[in-house]
Amino acid sequence: MTARQKLGWVIASVAFLLVGVPLLISATGRTDLYYTLTTVALLSIISGGVWLTFYIGRINIGQGAFALIGGYVSAILVTQYGVSFWLTLPLAGLFCAVVSIVIGLPILRLRGVYFAMVTLTMTEVARLSAFALPITNGAKGIVNIPLPGAVTLFGVTIIPDFATLTNPRLAFYITSVVMMVVCFAFLYRLVHSRVGKICQSLQQNEELASSIGVNITYMRILAFAVSSFLGGIGGAMFAAIAQSMYPSSFGVQDSVNFMLNCFLGGLGYVLGPMLGTFVLYFGWDLLFKTGDFQLLIYSSILIVLMLVLPNGLLSIRLPVQKRASL
Amino acid sequence: MKDILEISNLTKRFGGLVANNNISFAVKEREILSVIGPNGAGKSTLFKLIASFLHPTSGEVRFRGQRISGLAPHKVARMGVVRTFQETTIFKSMTVRENIVIAHHLRSRASLAGFFLGTSTAQQDEEEFARSADEIIDFLGLGAYRHEMASNLPHGHLRALGIAIGLATNPQVLLLDEPFAGMNQEETKRAIEIVRGVRDRGITVLLVEHDMPAVMNISDRIVVLNFGEKIAEGTPKEIQENPKVIEAYLGVEDTAIGI
Amino acid sequence: MEQVIINGLYLGAQYALIALGLTLIFALMNVLNFAHGQMYVLGGFITYVIYGQLGLPFPLAVICSGLTLAAVGSVIERFLFAPVIKRSAREESTMLLAAAVAFFLDAVILLLFGEKQRGVPKIINGVFVSDSVVMPYDRIVVGVVAMAMIVAFMLYMQYSKPGRAMRALAQDRIAAQLMGVNVDRYSTIGFALGAMLAGLVGGLLVSITGVNSGIGGSISIKAFLMVMIGGAGVVGGAIAGGFILGMMESVGLTLLRNFGDVTYLVIFALLMIFLSIRPHGLMGKPWG
Repeated sequence: MTARQKLGWVIASVAFLLVGVPLLISATGRTDLYYTLTTVALLSIISGGVWLTFYIGRINIGQGAFALIGGYVSAILVTQYGVSFWLTLPLAGLFCAVVSIVIGLPILRLRGVYFAMVTLTMTEVARLSAFALPITNGAKGIVNIPLPGAVTLFGVTIIPDFATLTNPRLAFYITSVVMMVVCFAFLYRLVHSRVGKICQSLQQNEELASSIGVNITYMRILAFAVSSFLGGIGGAMFAAIAQSMYPSSFGVQDSVNFMLNCFLGGLGYVLGPMLGTFVLYFGWDLLFKTGDFQLLIYSSILIVLMLVLPNGLLSIRLPVQKRASL
Repeated sequence: MKDILEISNLTKRFGGLVANNNISFAVKEREILSVIGPNGAGKSTLFKLIASFLHPTSGEVRFRGQRISGLAPHKVARMGVVRTFQETTIFKSMTVRENIVIAHHLRSRASLAGFFLGTSTAQQDEEEFARSADEIIDFLGLGAYRHEMASNLPHGHLRALGIAIGLATNPQVLLLDEPFAGMNQEETKRAIEIVRGVRDRGITVLLVEHDMPAVMNISDRIVVLNFGEKIAEGTPKEIQENPKVIEAYLGVEDTAIGI
Repeated sequence: MEQVIINGLYLGAQYALIALGLTLIFALMNVLNFAHGQMYVLGGFITYVIYGQLGLPFPLAVICSGLTLAAVGSVIERFLFAPVIKRSAREESTMLLAAAVAFFLDAVILLLFGEKQRGVPKIINGVFVSDSVVMPYDRIVVGVVAMAMIVAFMLYMQYSKPGRAMRALAQDRIAAQLMGVNVDRYSTIGFALGAMLAGLVGGLLVSITGVNSGIGGSISIKAFLMVMIGGAGVVGGAIAGGFILGMMESVGLTLLRNFGDVTYLVIFALLMIFLSIRPHGLMGKPWG
């Protein structure tokens, strides 16, 4: 596909998402789908962050922590300090990036299961901290978060106050889709530029990458920081939609799901997390009708999937890391 | 000729094992110096110490008077001391050309952000890298494999690719780790010419090797290690006649170590 | 002060048993058993049913917990993990499988036993009181039993044939195979043993802290923490990690009570600092 064709597809898809889908929804009256699709968009952004950590050769099961932290940062800034939501969005991301740099320095040199273990613990510790720290209001969480306010520039309203809208769901949907498109465009560009090649080099052979002058520590921390940023802004957006934030808002199961989204969608493709999130979320949603058996069936399907397709849904373009031989 | 690398009293201990003990020698600019010795003599360790992939227990390495031992390996590469690896250490899922292009990393004038955004400096860098990569490919005779996956290269050409990656960094000193390993006579002859060609480009070459005829053929000077210590240093002729060297190699053949 | 230490020892013994199971599985198969906490919970519920509901003797109940989990562990290893490890070239697959198994067990436990917190009658009444220490007898009994199990486990690994085979397997898979160790069989035995340990602790502790279906995940995470502190895949590391975490929890709960129970945040922060100096834990092997 040529670059022009690709761009054509992208524009068509974005147009479909931003215009086509709302039209379909208003035609069929299925306004509940707004929430579902918004969730999918945000979850895919968060999963995109996990994908980026995969890209530098680390298995990240800790993104739930950053979604939680991002959500709380936004919630606290909006409810306790009256900061405009739109400002808290990048602030939440930046806060998460800083946290990830601090944590990343000691742990990014760990590999494989070791690294995964630490990130998984991170998710749980984030949850426990949300319970324990006074600023997060413990188990009661932060509730009654006001809807995002207006953004005006030189007297012109660029973004209307969500409280004044008749259909805030549509507004959240559009915001999330735009965020998703921007984030994935960013990731796409990253991967296809020289920066992406550098990441690939350190993923394939660290020593060789060092010998050609790649600062491995720096690149890893950079990737991890970007990854956490994505987790943070996703979480912040969720806080705005749910208008509440609890310690249980993002947990271990979410961290695992983010990883799963990437894995199923194909680790070799930038758009993999989008596809994986879509499939898994709708799958989980569909199972909702099974009530108590939802988790049982879901996990059984996962187990079967691992048995049948142990190498992921789509073919993997990145080099397969052979296990320490049996 | 000036000394470009000074290795002074370099010692490396791993727990109780002394891999390198008080090794000192200097490398002159633009010479080809080989480090030889029986298996287990500590040659690999010495190489890793020089390129700073290991930090010495004591002693130091200086490059043009500046201490490089103890620095991070990518910093040492940045300063101009670059190491190639044994075996097939290349970027397996990139093409030959991509392997060499990416090895130009140190020559980037644009920043990471510049590359991400595609600034004009970045574009100039990309053009320069491509041009230089093609030139290196031709120099090493890899033209036929330009767009092949690196993992598909036959063995002899893999070593050439390893050298190409080293050259792309525009080094001042290139450390070649067993460049002639596993080669037949033909391939070795070609490889010797390549190494000479590298030196003719103004690069100082330090190599570790087992292939004695090749070493004697190509080296300006040789350093001999045994049991972690330097036992001799000199021209090929001096080394060949040195009784300590003869004893070191004969001694190993007599015992049944056979690693 | 002595109270803190005694509490720490008591907790440490339990935790060490949990960590031992996890580290054994990790050493043998390089698999992180995400479901370890759920196995603990299952063990607790089994003892709850046998001792609490059916009124049979407590030791019998605990043994049943152990045996059931051993059976569950063997099945999981043989039919789920072994095939996936053989077929997959990526580490993520086994990790995702482990996570899926954990969710599955969570779901099963919820369906079988419900959400409510369950407890059992005290196994022995009374409290030991001295000038500096107050310790209920049942905790002392459980603590002692736990330590006995640790010792038994270590002796087993050191001197029995399966124990030696598993240690060989953990150190060097290929060499063990060459020496005739049946890798598949001992992987299954090892996993079963690890699961059994989790089940035994669950059974023991249900008599003191009770059990509910939701704590599986947290217990798994605590087990990971211990293994990270002590070093993964090393028996001594698991024990060290267990006792260290037990002691830190005891200290933290006492000292930080006024600060809103941020014990685990502090522990994690300390762990980060610790991992910068010793990335593989106190005694860990650099695997993977």
